[in-house]
Amino acid sequence: MNTVDEILDYAIDQEQQAADFYEDLAGRVEKGGMKEILMEFSAEEQRHKQRLLAVKSGEHELTPEQEVLDLKISDYLIDVDATDDISYQDALIVAMKRERAAYKLYSDMAEKLPESHLRKVILGLAKEEARHKLFFESEYDERVLRDN
Amino acid sequence: MNLRDLLSPFFVWQRAFEKPYTSIRPTIDRPGAPAYRGFHINVSEECVGCGSCHSICQNHAIDMVPAAEFEGRTGDSGLRPRFDYGRCCWCGLCVDICTAASLRMSNEYAWISEDPDEFHFTAGVDDKPWQNNEHGYRRAEGYHLYPPKRIEMDMLSPDESVQSFEEVARGYSEAQAKLEADRCVECGICVATCPAHMDVPDYIHSIRDGDYEKGLQLMYRTNPFPATCGRICTRRCESVCPVGILGEPVAIRWLKRFIVDQVDAKDYPRILNDQIIESGHRVAIIGAGPGGLSAAYYLRKKGHAVTVFEAGETAGGMLRYGVPSYRLPDADLDKDIAYIVSLGVDIRYNTRIGKDIDFEQLLQDYAAVFLSTGLSVPSNMRIQGEDHARVLSGLQVLADVASGRDPGIGSRVAVIGGGNVAMDAARVSRRLGAEVTILYRRRIADMPADEEEIHESQEEGCNIVPQAIPVEIIAADKPQQVSIKWGEAEMVQDPTGGRPRPVLQEDRMHTDTYDCIISAIGQGSDLDFLSKENQQQLAIEWGKFTPGEYQQSALQKVFVGGDVANRTADAISAIEDGHHAARGIERLLNPDGFTATQTDNTGEPA
Repeated sequence: MNTVDEILDYAIDQEQQAADFYEDLAGRVEKGGMKEILMEFSAEEQRHKQRLLAVKSGEHELTPEQEVLDLKISDYLIDVDATDDISYQDALIVAMKRERAAYKLYSDMAEKLPESHLRKVILGLAKEEARHKLFFESEYDERVLRDN
Repeated sequence: MNLRDLLSPFFVWQRAFEKPYTSIRPTIDRPGAPAYRGFHINVSEECVGCGSCHSICQNHAIDMVPAAEFEGRTGDSGLRPRFDYGRCCWCGLCVDICTAASLRMSNEYAWISEDPDEFHFTAGVDDKPWQNNEHGYRRAEGYHLYPPKRIEMDMLSPDESVQSFEEVARGYSEAQAKLEADRCVECGICVATCPAHMDVPDYIHSIRDGDYEKGLQLMYRTNPFPATCGRICTRRCESVCPVGILGEPVAIRWLKRFIVDQVDAKDYPRILNDQIIESGHRVAIIGAGPGGLSAAYYLRKKGHAVTVFEAGETAGGMLRYGVPSYRLPDADLDKDIAYIVSLGVDIRYNTRIGKDIDFEQLLQDYAAVFLSTGLSVPSNMRIQGEDHARVLSGLQVLADVASGRDPGIGSRVAVIGGGNVAMDAARVSRRLGAEVTILYRRRIADMPADEEEIHESQEEGCNIVPQAIPVEIIAADKPQQVSIKWGEAEMVQDPTGGRPRPVLQEDRMHTDTYDCIISAIGQGSDLDFLSKENQQQLAIEWGKFTPGEYQQSALQKVFVGGDVANRTADAISAIEDGHHAARGIERLLNPDGFTATQTDNTGEPA
């Protein structure tokens, strides 16, 4: 991945894979209400994908310089499996962890690159993922950690 | 008659062109004295429409009328006072009684109109030039027509309370109850706010009259758990009581308790006089908590045969296993339950739906099913090491204590969480002799626990450490101990909205060792007794049912309520859910008779 288009294509593909992952899980889950939630997650990933497509076509710009709040919730949670009887809490943990991994991937990638337009784009993608992580961590904070 | 008499009427005409001695407006604007009792001013934003001005007015000069812009506000009747200046005698009693001190009098005294009907106006709503008048009559500082402070409840001292599980609140004497009852202005704003719409002003009035039997009857119209709610209700009524605006709200919960405490359980059948005419319909209820038993009571009153399936050994649900006896003694909970059961409610204990009886079987055997299974599964922290044997769940600790078992907490305990279960687990641990630290990830002000519980836990010696986020559980040197690694948090405003969120400060980490860690960060539902198909049919969001009208689910004969179907997850909401579902089931089973003339105090069929 040496060009901006290549890295954007990769990121778009990752969002599509995430959307497919949640959609697939939604088809398997047993607990009532989980299907709808996972389909919402899938739709959220599709929105991320649309946003990146807009970046690629020049309609939208990434904002690598914008600070994003890091709640650090997922950093200290254990890994959980996306099983058929997954709970609400665990589904959110899976989502947070996936966004965190993507954020780390782009951040590490950018760190290794010299100052360039490509680096800026990758940093912008990292910030996008940080925003997605914040979205799911805020959900977790509101719904799972309500009494805590 | 002489000539002068004949001509004099014509001489009068010459006056017609002279300057008159009277005028249609005073020509000299002489202001009223600074404290003059002139036309009324009402700061409508501060007024809550309690109507105490209307009640006290001796001339019936004040009507409470709807003011559209204030309708629907919590703790506000949506009404505002309308004055009739044909009746007002400017005594100022309305200003003296005003609970919000929003009503004042200007020193304006001139208002001229040829239309006598014009001298009615809604102060603060109708535009009048004196609304912002700085002068006029105001209630003197510190002057109250009723005592602003409530009658203090006798409580065990913190030193005494941690010695045993004896009830902390001792109850009002009759003299204390009457004095407290006298503080009620009978506005009824509490009725609208109470989830069960209890007739608070009237049952408080029954204390003034010394007619406790009537008070009990009034309470049972919408709540068959008055002894319980008189002790542990979340009392949203008190949070909107207008007497609390300038002072302390009326102690509604303690007054409710006082009434129930005055009536012996053996007199309930005579006083409540519930006549049951069997309907021939059978209804199943899953869960013998407040929601299930409230439904059972109102369904039984309608003559339906009620069978309650309870997984545990006793009835009461979270009231029994989750609320410690120092807040709700078993005897008082049993007083409520015993009367409900006495109407012929059949409770099948140790019977778990999905294991002992299939849910589908219930659907076949009964005309309707009410599902109120509560939130019984403790949430996990999902941090490293949580499965350590010395990490206990708050619910389990409370259930052990309620059942007379030793939860084995040791002498040094950390409780994680800020809800009522966390506070109860902490206070129970104090009573078992432990030194207690409560770790909570946000500020004390953010704790979802009842303010009273937070205060009392601190008084009893629990050390609350706010803004403390657990990150890892670590095995300690001794097997009967456990360590917890936690970090300090800073509260940061989330730019995407909502309340400030705690952000872990990784440079401020701590590790402490305890005999056990009690996790009480919330609980969820266990709906595994329902098949996958049933779960898909019943609308479920984030582990809770989403009931429709009258608590009816997507399955026509299934009704849902209590903690598993509402957001508030408190006893009074569960009780109302049960009552509401009973009305829904009655509508299902007896559609023609549903619009019966018998109504409760909310105007709905009882």
